[in-house]
Amino acid sequence: MVEVPTGTLIVEAVHQAGLDLNIPCGGQGRCGRCAVIVDNRRAVRSRSELRLSQEDLAAGYVLACQTVLEGDVTVTIPPQEKIERRLVTDRTATRVTLPFSYDPKRDQPMQLVPLTIDPPTMDDQTDDWSRLKRAMALNYGISDLTIDLATLRKLGTTLREADWSVTAVVELDTWDRPNGPARLVDLIAGQNVAHLWGAAVDVGTTTVSLYLVDLLRGEVVARAAEYNAQIKRGEDVISRIIYASRNGNLQEMQALVVDTINEVLERACGRAGIRPWEIYKMTVAGNSTMIHLLLGLPANSIRLEPFITTINQPPPVQAAQLGIAIHPQAHVDCLPGVASYVGADIPAGVLGSQMCDSKSVALFLDIGTNGEMVLGDCDWLVSCACSAGPAFEGAGVRDGMRATVGAIEEVWINGQTYEPTYRVIPDPQLEAQGKPTLPKGICGSGLISLLAEMFVTGVVDKAGNLNFDLGSPRIRYGEHGPEYVVAWGNETAHGRDIVITKVDIDNLIRAKAAIYAGFTVMARSVGIDLSTVERVLVGGSFGQYVNVEKAIQIGLLPDLPWEKFHFLGNTSLKGALFALLNREFRRHLTTIAQKMTYLELSADNTFYEAFTSALFLPHTDLSHFPSVAEILAARRTTQSSHFIQGGRPDVHHR
Amino acid sequence: MPGIEVPKEKWSGKVREVTLGATAAEGGTRSRTVTVGGETTLPFLKFEGEIPHPPAIALEVRDQQPNDWPSILLEAWNGATQDVAEWAKAAEAAGADLVALRFNASEQLNAAYARKILRRVLSATGLPLIVFGAGQADLDNEILVAVAEEGKGERLVLGVCEEKNYRTIVAAALAHGHLVDARTPMDVNLSKQLTILIHDMGMPLERIITDPTTGALGYGIEYGYSVMERLRIAALQGDTMTQQPMLVTPGEEAWRTKEARAAEGVPAAWGDYVERAINWEVLTASTLIQSGADIVVLRHPKSLQRVRAMINALMS
Repeated sequence: MVEVPTGTLIVEAVHQAGLDLNIPCGGQGRCGRCAVIVDNRRAVRSRSELRLSQEDLAAGYVLACQTVLEGDVTVTIPPQEKIERRLVTDRTATRVTLPFSYDPKRDQPMQLVPLTIDPPTMDDQTDDWSRLKRAMALNYGISDLTIDLATLRKLGTTLREADWSVTAVVELDTWDRPNGPARLVDLIAGQNVAHLWGAAVDVGTTTVSLYLVDLLRGEVVARAAEYNAQIKRGEDVISRIIYASRNGNLQEMQALVVDTINEVLERACGRAGIRPWEIYKMTVAGNSTMIHLLLGLPANSIRLEPFITTINQPPPVQAAQLGIAIHPQAHVDCLPGVASYVGADIPAGVLGSQMCDSKSVALFLDIGTNGEMVLGDCDWLVSCACSAGPAFEGAGVRDGMRATVGAIEEVWINGQTYEPTYRVIPDPQLEAQGKPTLPKGICGSGLISLLAEMFVTGVVDKAGNLNFDLGSPRIRYGEHGPEYVVAWGNETAHGRDIVITKVDIDNLIRAKAAIYAGFTVMARSVGIDLSTVERVLVGGSFGQYVNVEKAIQIGLLPDLPWEKFHFLGNTSLKGALFALLNREFRRHLTTIAQKMTYLELSADNTFYEAFTSALFLPHTDLSHFPSVAEILAARRTTQSSHFIQGGRPDVHHR
Repeated sequence: MPGIEVPKEKWSGKVREVTLGATAAEGGTRSRTVTVGGETTLPFLKFEGEIPHPPAIALEVRDQQPNDWPSILLEAWNGATQDVAEWAKAAEAAGADLVALRFNASEQLNAAYARKILRRVLSATGLPLIVFGAGQADLDNEILVAVAEEGKGERLVLGVCEEKNYRTIVAAALAHGHLVDARTPMDVNLSKQLTILIHDMGMPLERIITDPTTGALGYGIEYGYSVMERLRIAALQGDTMTQQPMLVTPGEEAWRTKEARAAEGVPAAWGDYVERAINWEVLTASTLIQSGADIVVLRHPKSLQRVRAMINALMS
């Protein structure tokens, strides 16, 4: 209980009451983090409700930094967690939910078949393989079983050692052989096999992610991710193709990505307490170049006009042929792609997001190093791709990192002091002890958030130049030119300053411009006004979420109402998971890949123009970003006085 | 020609009018001011829209005689290039609308020196001035801040502002009532973006001249032409951030070409050297005027006469 004069801001009253209320944006009504609940709306007056929805207002929320007291009122400060959850879009669920009910007997081509086989006698001299086939046909009606030489070599030994009681690991069909024949992948001694393991992999240009999956229960048991080791041979697909096309390098590139897959495999298996060779099936999603390099196919024709792949729908291959450390006879199924630059990740994402089941037009964006996008509904789908560079995955940026423990994932900058506050992805163990996790770097969502805040507060201008006139010690010249210090060395895990450099900013602006230009040109080419798009589905390996508002502020996403956006997380990986579990889903992927119309942006002479006009914050044409224009206008009124008082301009020497 | 009707385009936009220089009544010391812009149609299509001001011609003078100009160009000035004040006077006498003072990159160039040179040029001529730095960001920031202060109230054009280096010059121009020249490398979007950045600092659009950069005849002029034409069409279509008058420097570009520098060792079909060199500058400038240039900066007094003759013929 505290008494204050009429006209006092709630935030001041709260502080006088000895309570703490964070105002990361410096009390400009911009970040919405000081939302509180008042019991008597008539006793307060609000200057701005910018960050509050109709439901929030109805629930009594006001912004403490924008609201003055004019009568007696009880103010409730909600827990910070609750506020943040209202501000971010869909957090991806920690548990992966399937868009279908899973029945392994119905959906899964991989089956465990327990077999008790009559041992041979002098009277029954049938060979081992025929004997096993006979038992299989008799008990399960599987009469067309095939076997590989490698499996055959250990057949006799396994049967005898197991005393003719075994479990057959059978693959009933594959996408290119929907009616079989069934294949015996392995024979395990005994009949007490409790698990059947599979793995779903997303081979991204920058990041390789993997789900370890229990195929009997349809559950993701463990996950792991790592940067694709091919990065050291080039950051984008084009430079990798060029590298791979030189003598002998294709084998090296193939080995690099296989090593990465094996590394994440090992890590995920370690978490689940199993061995990689217990995995009997793997599905892989990735862009066409990644799939070519994984299979060891020459990729040069992807780069050269008329941009043709060796294959868009590769057949399943055995793991041993690729060097992947799962069971050697297990099939690795690379999901189908559309064209040279729209790979399997896109049909996988489209199907996973169910955009092709709806009558309303949706825009699907897979924001990664190779940015891919699809526009359409249940009747038509058009897709295109553009090279965005690895910035949104935290690579190619000085203090960038993947979205793991220690990554700064969101930043707020105070509009008066230019001091930042940030949130770090916590280490669960430290969190349990109530200790903070120190930052190590900035992940993709953190970079988007940081650039948006720097822009909105005027730390950078619309071209991304740092404003040295602000006099903040955080804006300085570093080894790589101008930079902004996000965290000083004494607050970081490694003791070094975490900064964003002008080079990083330029990379980010180029990345967002490529994505924005891609979907605007695509929409224009089919005569669709972006404002008529009903849903925008955003995928990518940003981490847990991407802040839609900030992505709009930098001009990465179109300025549409927030409720139209749905963040889906890594849709490519999810597509691989669904295809691993469900043969119908896998079949659909092929039809969708065939149905999509591919737009080659390099053949579109408006792309470059669209790209250069997007090389600006948020865009050269501000009229496409009315909500950002509003925020900038608000800033100008609060900061214009500051500028005029600036007096004689200073001359800056490096 | 009975029965033939000339088709007319209806434009919604208009190029912004910008006035260079200030007379005593306006707080400066110029004997007259020059206003450019205001067009509501493409160059010289007077039957279609308004062209209130003809394109203006500036002659370039240097604080010191440059050592990289061909001798025929220096000789055309009859010794006036030895002294900046004489040179400015000669430029006015040659019929220039504006004087473009450009500093050479030299040892002695600093703020105090720049002030001194500016004072001498201001007293030598009554024409409005454009002042260009030496093309080195840090040095230009230092001298242009001094020039802005020294020439307070004169409505000078200060340049060049580029995306990587504009804040200091713009702030100086803002504080002392000057204009700025906003240069971008031949791109419609970049030009627009720099105008926005400068305007965001509080600079009124009536004090920004856009400089889209150009190439000489035979050295990429078609690219520059096309960018200027697109900028002008965008302006007339109502895109407000492209409506600044355009300044280009055909003199600088033309006198860099082999055709304007090689007196010997070229095919006879190239013709008389002096004529050819002047023609190169004249054709570069007149082509750019046809694509929408509002101010051209020239070097040879004879080029000025010929370009002026073309403007007068097309304006009448």
